[in-house]
This record gives sequence, structure tokens and C-alpha cells, in this order.
Amino acid sequence: MILPIGPIHPALKEPLRLKLKTQGERVISAEIDYGYVHRGIERIMVGKTWQKSIYLAERVCGICSYIHTQTFAETFEKISDERAPLRAQYLRVLTNELDRIQSHLLANSTFFKAVEHETLFMYMLHLREPVMDAIELLTGNRVNMGWNVVGGVRMDVKDVHLQQIMTIMNKLEVEYQKYVEMYEQGPLMGLRSKKVGRMTKEEAIKARAVGPIGRASGLKHDLREDHHTYRDNLDFKVIWRKEGDTFARNMNRFDEIPQSISLIKQVIENLPEGDIRKKVEIGAGFGEWRNEAPRGEVTYMIETNGNLINNASIRTPSIMNIDACAKYMLKDVATVSDAIAAYASVDPCIACVERVVIVDEKGGEKQFQGIFDIK
Amino acid sequence: MLDALKDIIRKSSIHVCLVNSGGCNGCDIEVVALLSPRYDLEQYGIYVHNNPREADVILVTGAVTEQWKENLRRIYTKAPEPKIVVALGNCPISGDVFNQEGGCVNAPVSDFIPVDAEVSGCPPRPSEILEAILAVAPGAIAAKGRQKE
Repeated sequence: MILPIGPIHPALKEPLRLKLKTQGERVISAEIDYGYVHRGIERIMVGKTWQKSIYLAERVCGICSYIHTQTFAETFEKISDERAPLRAQYLRVLTNELDRIQSHLLANSTFFKAVEHETLFMYMLHLREPVMDAIELLTGNRVNMGWNVVGGVRMDVKDVHLQQIMTIMNKLEVEYQKYVEMYEQGPLMGLRSKKVGRMTKEEAIKARAVGPIGRASGLKHDLREDHHTYRDNLDFKVIWRKEGDTFARNMNRFDEIPQSISLIKQVIENLPEGDIRKKVEIGAGFGEWRNEAPRGEVTYMIETNGNLINNASIRTPSIMNIDACAKYMLKDVATVSDAIAAYASVDPCIACVERVVIVDEKGGEKQFQGIFDIK
Repeated sequence: MLDALKDIIRKSSIHVCLVNSGGCNGCDIEVVALLSPRYDLEQYGIYVHNNPREADVILVTGAVTEQWKENLRRIYTKAPEPKIVVALGNCPISGDVFNQEGGCVNAPVSDFIPVDAEVSGCPPRPSEILEAILAVAPGAIAAKGRQKE
């Protein structure tokens, strides 16, 4: 029997159709239909200046909106062979890590909602609100921050705000540990998440899984290792696990939060003086830049003539992760509710996904069914 | 007598369905933030469950993509009377940044379903969303319920 879930369903935040092939209560395989939120961002970007396109890049995804503007700006900086001033780079790290904390907390809260653990769901959202306050203190907005420009950041930060962010982080570090223990050692949570939705390392490589989902399956890959600001100035270590189940994915996200807090503290303590923005003469050419978003690897490929964008292509992490989920994790799962939990643990973000259409050479469009279509 | 009683009950029990018709998620996560202990949506008798068949209030976010042109109307008809629609964010009101040459959006939402209230902002703050629902929902639901009966 095929059990359709979505596009509007109590278990889903975003529109997407999940078709579960079931035998009794057991889920044999799954199929995912996209296409509900395709807005054509890449097409709108063509023929516009970067000043007009950076807002569009921000609205690719509301949850990880920050990293999209940073990657967009860094792509242009790469094309022009420039780098932002060191203070701006530090401030970018600060905002990026704050955004990562709130995204991870939101992702885990969604998982707890999916397994109907309301208490932890509320605790996660309770922890998240002070982080949103910190983001608002720094940038002036909660979600779409408008913080990056090509060649730096838009505003300088005040010492008072840095101290307040430091206080928030100290408080979060202490409070947060309790809830991780609740999850890690709770017997019921263990039953719902351990050995559910397993994906091995080989499968993760085949499905090109990235971010915490890939790292939970043993792929030791985090692009922050290669980013020049993290590599040269900050103390950073990749967090990864071997189990590859739902529990490991959630724990991997949990473990990354203290590291983000430590990075924020390092930034605040060592913030260098200087300019926050410099004038960049935009060069002509093609540039590609990758960054680690909260969900994995985000790539921007932009071709510009020095003023207008000729061609833009964005690759977001969720598309690989959702396909990995459909192909490998939702394979022989014991119950439908476990399948929903495994799906929620992937941290799916549908708004990022909708962007690819494969055009057949002989004419006519073919709908994109997933990453496995690309040979 | 019965009407009066129904009015009182409906005012303090509002079921909300969130429909993302092609936005960036920003408004949706602000609705999730509303559930947090800080804003605590449920103390006002508002319950978000994403099921259109039991909804009193349909919160629409997003700028109506091609797939949603017909489905939005279908979801609206599935919700029982009395119902109200709140358009959340700039996307359902005007299409926001997506409503440009090359974009695949069909904003505004009011072309497809009747809209009772609009909250602007990209995204609006949680407190604004809460204020809008509370300002329009209880009265409108009660009034619409009377009309029908």
C-alpha cells in the first residue's frame, strides 16, 4: 500500500509529498515529490547587479538565510580577487555561528515534535529565543538579517552588544547541558531513535550526504576546516560520529552547539580593530565558492560581466540530504511513525531544494526527480 | 442562547492551519517561535496543528507558486465554516522580491482565496503575528458563524 503524506500535514512544516510504500505498518521504501515552492530565484538574478541579488540570495531559505548572503558575497570577492577586512571576517563568523546554533536547536525541536516529546520540544524553543535575541542585537533583525555586503559587513558592532552576546552564550552553555543529557540518556528517546533509519558510510558517499547528516554516518567533512578565517585564526575541530542512525544525527547537531559557542567566544575575545568594509572593484568572470551552512555544503556558482550577473547557480545541502533520506534511511523501517522521525532528523528544508529542471536535448522538459537522475 | 454559547467557545478555541504556498520559510519559523514558552500561543486558546479539515484560521505564507494555484483553493474549501484567512508576510500580499521578471509566482493570495487580514513584514515579528490573529480571529469567526446560521 502506498501511504501519501503531505503536502499539508500535521507532521510537516513545509509543503512536500512523501509517498511511503508500506506492508502493514512496515515501511518498505519511500519516494519524495518536490515542486511546491519553486520560485525561480536563479532566473530572477540574471541581469541584475549584486546589490539587487543579495536580497534574493537571502530569501533562498529562511532558516539558514545568513550563510547564503555570506557565500554570495564571498563568491564576488573571489571573482574580484579581494578579501574582506579581518574584522569583517570575524563578524561574519560570529553571525554564522549564532545562526548555526538557532538552526540546530530548531532542527532538533522539530524532531522532538515529530516523536511527540512536547517537553523537549518546548525546552529547545526556550533555549532558541535568547539566541534569536543575540542575532537581533547584532544585526537588527531576527530572520533575514541583511548583514553581508560584497567586501565586508554592513554595520560595526558595539562593545555593549558584544558583552550582552557573551552573557547570553555563557548562560546558554550552562543551561543547555541538562537537555542533552535528557536526550542522550532518556530510555524512551533511545527506543525511538537508536538504530532507526540507518545510513552507512558507503551509502552516505553514494548519496552525497553532507553536513551533520553525512558527519553522523562517518564522513569527516566540514567545509569550515578549509575556510580561510577558521583555518588561519580560530581553533576548530570537526565533530563526527560513526553510528549513522537518527540518534547520531541529532547528537551530532547537539555536539556542534558547544563548539559554535566556543567559536563565538573566541571571536568576541580576539576581535581585531579596523575597517568593516572595503570598496571592491567587481571583476568580470566566473567564480565558485563553498561554505558550510547549518545543513551542510552550500555552493554558489556565478558568472558576471563586472556589473550584471550573467548566470547564477546555487546548490544547497538539503537536496542531497533529502534524497539520501528517501533512498537509504526510509528503507525497511519498522513503523510509519519511525519513518516520520527519521525524516525529521534529516532537518529537511524544502525552500532550498526547489531549483533544478533538466531539459531534454530532443525537446521538452523533464521533471527533476532527485540527485540520482544526474549520471 | 446556543449561538451565544457557541460564540464564547469559538473565541477561546482557535485552530490554526499553516499553509506555505511557496515562501522562504522565514514566516514559518516565526510561527514555530510563537509556540515557544516566551510567546506561548496556547495560553490564548490558539492551537497550531496544520490540519485544514479542523482549522478555523488558515495562515497563508508564500507567494503562490504554480503548483499552489489550484491547490490553495482546494485547501480553502476543505476547511469547515466559519473560517478566516490571514496572509502572513510580504509574499502573499505583494510577492515580495520574487515578484519580478523571471519569477514563478502568482501573488497576491487574494486572487485565489478571500483574505481577512494581512500582516506585512519580511518576516513579521512573532508578536505581530499573534496580535493579528487575536485581533481578527475571535470576532470574525463569531460573526461568520452567525451569518451562516
